[in-house]
Amino acid sequence: MTALCQHEPLLLNRPVVDADDESALIRRACQRDQQAFAQLYHRHVGRVHALCRRMAADIPHAEELTQAVFVKLWEKLGLFRGESTFGTWLHRLTVNTVLTDFRSTRRREARVFGTDDPAALETPSSPASAGLRLDLEQAISGLPPRARVIFVLHDVEGYTHEEIAALLELQTGTTKAQLHRARQLLQEALR
Amino acid sequence: MNDSESSPLRDQIAALPREFPPARDLWPEIQAQMQRLDPNTLSQVEPSALKSTRSTFRRYRLPLAIAAVLSLAAGLHWLRPAASGPSWAVSPLAGEPRVDRAILTGPAQLREGGWLETNSTSRARLTVGAIGEVSVEPNSRLRLINTSSTNHRLQLVRGTMHAMIWAPPRLFFVETPSATAIDLGCAYTLTVDDHGASVLEVTSGYVALEHGGRESIIPSGLMCITRPGAGPGTPFAVTASTEFRQAIDRFDAGDAAALSAVITKAGRDDAITLWHLLTRVSAATRGTVFDKLAALQPAPSGVTREGIVQGDAAMRSRWGEELGLSVGIAARP
Repeated sequence: MTALCQHEPLLLNRPVVDADDESALIRRACQRDQQAFAQLYHRHVGRVHALCRRMAADIPHAEELTQAVFVKLWEKLGLFRGESTFGTWLHRLTVNTVLTDFRSTRRREARVFGTDDPAALETPSSPASAGLRLDLEQAISGLPPRARVIFVLHDVEGYTHEEIAALLELQTGTTKAQLHRARQLLQEALR
Repeated sequence: MNDSESSPLRDQIAALPREFPPARDLWPEIQAQMQRLDPNTLSQVEPSALKSTRSTFRRYRLPLAIAAVLSLAAGLHWLRPAASGPSWAVSPLAGEPRVDRAILTGPAQLREGGWLETNSTSRARLTVGAIGEVSVEPNSRLRLINTSSTNHRLQLVRGTMHAMIWAPPRLFFVETPSATAIDLGCAYTLTVDDHGASVLEVTSGYVALEHGGRESIIPSGLMCITRPGAGPGTPFAVTASTEFRQAIDRFDAGDAAALSAVITKAGRDDAITLWHLLTRVSAATRGTVFDKLAALQPAPSGVTREGIVQGDAAMRSRWGEELGLSVGIAARP
């Protein structure tokens, strides 16, 4: 076993524990092994939460969405067939969970698909917190809801217009126009 | 994207962090909701009691509420008469782990005083009474010291174990050559190397490390390196930079000059590290630590620089509670 004593430099750079590989964790979690699932959670919560935060632009809501994603993951993990990486699959699950939640209540529906008010940029709805790139994160948070979701999915997460249009049940012309508008608003906000 | 207009924006987008963890630990609430779905996979707890509520203090209230409910469930379980002598169920997860030198081929019992060993290809799982589970990684050696309703105690001589405990604080202990890990609820990974040094990483809840009257409280998202004879190390965020970790490492090894580097490099996520340093630096330099900590996390009402410099334990505890360490502080005997 590698020694941890005597200021071994490697200790400070390498992962503390060589954890199970992900496929083994997934197999165990599929068998309702909560410890394995907890490890999956800790591996991926940062990525899931980042996506929820940017799409929701609201910290408490993003935390609720993050919880919902992992509860849904616990329910649906058996459906993961390994046709994509687990991270990609979880990413899709996250996007679907967030969009479903947005649609599910009128309040949230209004938050996402309500009036695109450019004045929102002047009063960001939810200031970014610890350690984020404040200017851009705040500007994204302040985008009108629909433009924000499209911008995050396209420019940050790499979705195509066709994929976004299908997810949001919009025409690609609409998503392109919204994306253009989001970029313009961001550039104005960041000047 | 129009390159001429949007290139700076594109660069900023590319520099956005791909991940950032939530500011509070979401796992207990997720676990409670999971139990609602699978009521047989955890101890019998009324999930409705675990529903989150939004309030200023929910970060602190929820872990305590969960601990209280789990305590009740565990307490009810322990009131039942034991079906057999003191032992834990043990089962192989991979390879051929050994219990008291006998190869483990299926579920068995690890009795008090018994040894569990894994080689380079074997792993095993222990069921810690009714309060949790421990999985043991390859190249590990541990012993069950004792198990009772008030004290479950392991000795980890070397290797790695992952513990997930749903019991009241200070009922599950793991002794290592460098310190004793005291569970305050939830999950952690503990590694001991061939020299007796340990690395503790907490993935959910809180763990305390104690040795020789010195204590560290490590919440989720932090880790702690401890060397034999030196007492528990100073916890730091798992996301801390290499430079910051190295500075902490030098400080814990006795290099007082490393303190300036620690203070200089400390950022928003390092407040708990600085809080621990308040009792590990001389009175002459405690004010410097106070100033940096106060810049990151303003001192609560009634906590003064003068009091902290003079070593006022109540003030330090109050500040620790403000930093989310109330579970660890309140759980002290």
